[in-house]
Parts: sequence; C-alpha cells; structure tokens
Amino acid sequence: MLVIKNLKASINNREILKGLNLKINPGEVHAIMGPNGSGKSTLANVLSGKNGYKISGEVKYLGESLNDIPVEERAQKGIFLAFQYPLEIPGVNTNNFLKTSLNTIKKAKGEKEIDTIAFLELVKEKAKELGIDEKILSRQLNVGFSGGEKKKNEILQMKILDPNLIILDETDSGLDIDALKIISDGVNSSRSEKKSFLVITHYQRLLEYIKPDHVHVLSDGKIIKSGTSELALELEKKGYKKLN
Amino acid sequence: MNENFKISPSEINNIKVLNQKDKNFRLENLKLFNQQGFPTRNHEDWKFSDINQIFSKNFKNLVSFKNKIKLKSVNFIKQFDHNHILMVNGKLENSEFKFEDKNKIKIKSYNDSNFSLNNEENSLINLNNALSNNGLFLEVADNYSFEKAIIIYNVFTDDLKDNLLNNKNKIILGKNSELHIVEYNINQSKNKFIYNTTENVILNENASLKTINLQANQNEGFFYKFSKGKMKSNSNYSSFIFSSGPKFNKIDAEFDLEGEKCDCNIKSALFINKDKHQEIKTKINHLVPNCKSYQKIKSVVDAEGKGVYQGKIYVKDIAQKTNAYQLSKALLLSENSEFNSKPELEIYADDVKCSHGSTSGSVDENSIHYLMTRGLSKKQAVQLLVNGFLNEIIGDIKSNSVRKFIENKIEVQIHGY
Repeated sequence: MLVIKNLKASINNREILKGLNLKINPGEVHAIMGPNGSGKSTLANVLSGKNGYKISGEVKYLGESLNDIPVEERAQKGIFLAFQYPLEIPGVNTNNFLKTSLNTIKKAKGEKEIDTIAFLELVKEKAKELGIDEKILSRQLNVGFSGGEKKKNEILQMKILDPNLIILDETDSGLDIDALKIISDGVNSSRSEKKSFLVITHYQRLLEYIKPDHVHVLSDGKIIKSGTSELALELEKKGYKKLN
Repeated sequence: MNENFKISPSEINNIKVLNQKDKNFRLENLKLFNQQGFPTRNHEDWKFSDINQIFSKNFKNLVSFKNKIKLKSVNFIKQFDHNHILMVNGKLENSEFKFEDKNKIKIKSYNDSNFSLNNEENSLINLNNALSNNGLFLEVADNYSFEKAIIIYNVFTDDLKDNLLNNKNKIILGKNSELHIVEYNINQSKNKFIYNTTENVILNENASLKTINLQANQNEGFFYKFSKGKMKSNSNYSSFIFSSGPKFNKIDAEFDLEGEKCDCNIKSALFINKDKHQEIKTKINHLVPNCKSYQKIKSVVDAEGKGVYQGKIYVKDIAQKTNAYQLSKALLLSENSEFNSKPELEIYADDVKCSHGSTSGSVDENSIHYLMTRGLSKKQAVQLLVNGFLNEIIGDIKSNSVRKFIENKIEVQIHGY
C-alpha cells in the first residue's frame, strides 16, 4: 500500500524528517508514536501533500510515486488524513461540503455522482454509527463544534469518502473516554483487507482501542524502533527517553 | 459635451423643464458642475475612486441619451411571487401590483425640481440636478403593509453607448407601513455608459423598508447612486447590497436618524471581479437618542479588482444611548487585488456604544489545504471559502425563496472566477 524510503523533509531550512523508512501492507494498522517535535505531524502533512516542505526520498502509494502528486489527487486516489486540529470553515454547510467532496472523488474515479437523496441517506446511516447529532451536519463546517464533534466529523468524512490509506493524526487528543471509544469503534468497523491505517499518537491509550499490527517509535525525524503492540506498552512504562 | 466633460447649457433645452424656476435651478447646478468637473482623488470622498480619471480613461465623449429604445424581452423572476416596476434606461415604463390594494400606492414618473440634497460639494449631484429627466416616485400610504415584495427591474438597453443618464427616485413610506423592494439591474448593453442616480428615502414613524440591490449580470456600466434617507421614530431600514457586476459602482448612502428608536442596517456581500471597481460609502447620522445602526460589509476582491469602503458614523451631542456598529471584512484573492477601508467615528455624546473594525487578508492557506485533502481542487476550495465568506451576509435574508435566488446569483458570480 505505502512504501516510504529515506524520506527527508524540511521547512524553512530546518530538517524535520531525517531519513524515514516505512512499509505498510494492505489491511495493516501501523501506529507511530513519538515525543513532541519528533516529526509525527510533519509526516502526516507530507503524506497529504501539503505545500511548503522541501522533500527528498521516495514515497510510493499503490506502486506509484507520490512525489509530484498534488494534494487533491492524493485524496482522489484514496489517501485520507484525519486532522489533529480540524479547521473551522465559516459559511460552508457541512453536508454540502461533504457531498461536494464525495462527488469530486467519485468523478475522479470515473464513478457516477451521488444524488442528494442517496447522499443524505448515506450520511444519516454513518452519522448514526458515530453517534453524531444530524443537526450539526446542517451547520457550518466545524464552526462551534466541540472538540469531540470535530474529531467525530473527521471519522464521518473518512467513512463517507471510503479511502484506502487512512492517516489518523492524534485523533485521540482532547477526547474523553466515551468519545474515544465511539471513534475507535468507527475506525475498527472500517478495517478491512483493502484498507491500511497509519495511527499517529502520543499515548498508548488509543492503541488499547485500535489494536495495531505494528508500532514504530519516531524520534528526531527517524524511526528508531519498530515492534508489535507490546512496544507501545513498554513505551508507556518507560517513556521515550529510555529508548534513545 | 467636449473631452473635458464640460456640458453646454444647451443640453438643458433638450429636457422638458417644469417652469422657469426649474430651469434656473438646473442652469445653476450645471454651472457648479462645470466649475468642478467630475470629482478627483483630491476630494476626500473620492480618495479611492478617482472618477474623473476613471471616466477620462473610459469615455472619449459623453452623449446625453434621447429616449429612443429597443427593449429586448425582459426575463422576469419566476422563483417567487412579486409585484413589479419596470424601469428602462431610468424611465418608468410600467408597473403591476397584483397582490396589493392599489389605493394605498402612489406611483409616477418622478419629475420634481424641489429636490434639494444640500450637498453641493458633490458635483455628481449637481450634474444630476441639472440634467435628470427621469425617475421613479413611489409612496405607500399610512398603515399599509405590502403582501409581496416589489421588484424594480432596472433595464438598460443595448442602445446605450457612451451615454450619460441622470435620474432621480423618491420613496416615501407612510406611518406604520411596510415594504420590501428588490432592485434588480439587468444590463442588455455591451457598451459603456454612465448611470447617475440620486434617491430620496423618507421613512415615517414606525415604517419599515427592506431593500436588496442586485445585479443580474457582468456589464460595462458605470453606476453612481447617492441615497439620502430620513428616518422618523421607530422606523426601520434594512439594506442588502449585492451589486457586483458593473465595471464601476459606487453606492453613497447618507441616512439621518431623526426620530428616536429607529434602526438602520446596511449589509453587503460583494464579489469584485477582474477590472471591476466597487465602492460603498456610508454616513449614518445619529441625531437623536436611542437609535441603532449596524453595518457589515464583506468584500471579495479578485485579481486586478478594487474595492472600497468608507463608512462614517456621526453621533450628535444629544444622541445619548446610541448603539452603532460597523465592520468591514475583505478577502483578497490575488496580490493584485486592492481593498481600501476607511472607517470613521465622529462622536459628540458620552453615553454611547460604538464599535468599528476593518480587516483584510488573503484566503487562509490551511483552510485551502484542509479542503484539498478532501479531494477538492484549489479552485474549488477557494470558491467554497469565498462562498462561505459571503454567505454570512446572504444567510441573514429571511425569505427562503429570495435567499435561494440570491445565493444562486452569487454562486454564478463566484464560479465565473
């Protein structure tokens, strides 16, 4: 699904990722853990195609190099980033945005666009699974949403857009246990042989709910250790410092 | 007219004047205009819209318009029931009030020289006083509330070319009356012309007037409209300006809040395209206590476009408990976009609540990125953000059918980008 070789990324002449290697197979869930400033969010941004980074190395998605693929085409090809801080978009109706997004992706894939009635049914079903109050979907995108609602809205978008590679950037931050459980259930029910997940988190807590196949420790722009979910438990006990 | 835009007094001979007094009034105003010419940037009120320069660049000569017209069919709005008034090149053609009690409405061509606006600093008003030969007079009787809105179809025919049109409107609302007007400009001309209007609005006690100003299409017209409003106690004025489209447009509104507890609202959402120039200038005069005024101006300026907001709130010493608000927000889509904002407060009372603010900036890159990670192209993302930015104003329109109609119009404007 995703092969990263010797990925380096710098911004404003500061190198953040310093030669990162990672391979994710279809159906796998990988977790990346690491202290503040280790480059976790940069990795998420770079994979989404965000402008402003100077990049070297290779990122291949489904066998194709992503190096020159712009943000929207990555999304259209099935890469999804759930944001750590979902942006508030004033004046834009959540449902309208979701429908535009879904139809743009469908069109790019050469699929038939969805009509309003079918779309609303789809949203209703997915929103219910995530315990999202439908009313907030007719409000402005993320404006006035609580932290939990914003994160749930990201997972709702994931469910509706149905991507192949899902990057969850600290989706657990700012969530209470109930919301964490709902969101984890939402992710777990999406797991399949065709989908891969990259779960970025500070804490082991999330990994109790979303069980990863592999855990990697990111430190100073590199993966310094990889292992199974046992590694996450070990980190929780010893902290990041011991690993260095 | 020669190239310096000096206007010969003989022009007035072509106008049907009322009497000698009218003729003298016109000659006097023409003299004032010829002394000053069109305003330049040296004049504070025209600092950001040097209309003399703009006209010089766009017109070799100006020709008065003789009322000989070829009117193409007009597409009346079908999305919602309404009364209509049809104005062609500023002349009242016909009207229909099928939803109303016709005894309560007085409508005629406006031709009244006793229309002093006491603004001799403004040579465009002098020009208007000298040459105006058309217009609309509308009066609503006391205690009458309109069932449906009036749409004023302002049609400009393709006979217009290098023409200067001057007209005057007057709208009077009786006590406790209520009216909703949509002023809808339809431009059939592909050519340049100047439309110079002065408007007088009088709202008597407890009257309520809502207006929406909308352009049907992109066009080459140059519009200036001076609106002078007088508000009696408990009256309510609400204006929505969606006037994007013409090559040049300046709306100059001055409202006197003369009676207590009146409420004056001006809101605008403009999408200013390539090479287009729009200015909204307001002056709200709080002359008595306990009145409210509210202005929110949102402008999106695309490459080479120019937007201006000059807003002044004046609070007289006796106008205690005034509540005045003014905010301008501009979104610049390109490095070549220009927006000038000059908010001003002039306050002589001490127990008032007045606030003003002005921001301008480009579209937030992080928001664009967020939307692009959901598959939208950069253009789609910007369009969505622009739409969202302007929607805040459009969303305040209460009637669903009118709001939807306007939403569509604005969307078409944005998607032309």
